[in-house]
Amino acid sequence: MKFTFKATPALFARARQDLARKHPFAHERVGFVFAGCARADDDLIVITARDYMPVDDEDYIRNPNVGAMIGSGAMRKGLQRAYATRSALFHIHTHGGRGTPEFSSVDLKDAQNFVPSFFNVVPAMPHGLIVLSNDSARGRVWGAPKKKPVYIHRFVSVGSPLVRYGEVA
Amino acid sequence: MSRLDRQSFLGADSDRTLNELTVGYVGLGGGGSHVAQQAAHLGIGGHVLVDGDIVEDTNLNRLVSGTAKDAKDKRLKVDVAARTIKAVNPSARVKMCPVPWQQALEELKGCDVIIGGLDSVVAKDDLDRFCRRHLIPYIDMGMDVHDTGGAYLIAGQVVLSSPGCPCLRCFGVVTEDGLAQEAKRYGAAGSRPQVVWPNGNKNTVRSSPRVAMLGDRPCPHTSALETGDVRFDIRGDSKRKPSSPVAADGAAAQGATRRLLRKLGIFLRPAPET
Repeated sequence: MKFTFKATPALFARARQDLARKHPFAHERVGFVFAGCARADDDLIVITARDYMPVDDEDYIRNPNVGAMIGSGAMRKGLQRAYATRSALFHIHTHGGRGTPEFSSVDLKDAQNFVPSFFNVVPAMPHGLIVLSNDSARGRVWGAPKKKPVYIHRFVSVGSPLVRYGEVA
Repeated sequence: MSRLDRQSFLGADSDRTLNELTVGYVGLGGGGSHVAQQAAHLGIGGHVLVDGDIVEDTNLNRLVSGTAKDAKDKRLKVDVAARTIKAVNPSARVKMCPVPWQQALEELKGCDVIIGGLDSVVAKDDLDRFCRRHLIPYIDMGMDVHDTGGAYLIAGQVVLSSPGCPCLRCFGVVTEDGLAQEAKRYGAAGSRPQVVWPNGNKNTVRSSPRVAMLGDRPCPHTSALETGDVRFDIRGDSKRKPSSPVAADGAAAQGATRRLLRKLGIFLRPAPET
């Protein structure tokens, strides 16, 4: 099964702009993307982004060992909205720079702890983790809480021009 | 020199980019058959052909590559388009769906762009909503001939309805009046006046002052929060086909409901964004 992630350029731009803002003490920002899904042929699932939600300044926790740590309040807000809109939920942050970004080992280890819990709230949708650069992205998606995550096969910025990036062979 | 060398000005990587794209064509009559042929020449690699009609004698003045033998043999329009595409690019990936588009939803959801050559305003509206729900840019084509009092005016449009940008309603292609008066849609020149020479001009040369005027303003008729299939469930079998293709898709289901309401004389206005 392959996953393609689509969003409008406006949504990608909004996420990048928000994530690039300086936080009073955290080294980086994180946010949430809510998405719908559809099954296409050729064993493809198309994830279609609906909205981006920033994490409020007060929901960050001081932790000098990681770029950003968010509290249960932030997670609750994201999960509440995902539940209310029956959305796939993606945790998103940026590494900046150019080219296809890679997750850090901390990103992957943390995601393994919190992404499976998203299924407790919206079990019908896939959930995951996205890291952006300034011109590309990388994503991991879980189809079930106990399944091994897979890379998002391709990102598509649906605008004029239509741009496809972050392709995984 | 390869087949696409003379368009290398499109970019160093344009051959690969175009080959990887998949275009869906809904309606392969006068407009769609032209575009499918041009897309094949351009180097588009994937083609999803959707049209349930067969070739008839009256199609031969506009159906690109349609022959008298095709009409005699009652060949499907998707067969003719596939033959045209394969003749230009034998390695093209072609899927044929000789059914109404509402029965080819899974094939269409995988397309990068969908091009509509539909006659009906209702169908244009429904397909536009389907495309926006699945974040697929939709290009709508249409042409008509009007009697201006002793002379005829050929008018047509090619409109890009891109998610997050103005839709066919914003551009005035779909109007409540047009929906209500669909029965009169083909003006003074009789039914289906699209013939091959104005179609060729329409599909190759366009100016679009209204597009420039609207720019990338957000669309007030559709909500960005309603993407995907309303009944999608990752826990289902990935090979499972929906029991009712129309009902399985939110946009198509809404379209069916709107059509029913229209028959009853009830016209719905889209809810304003909150």
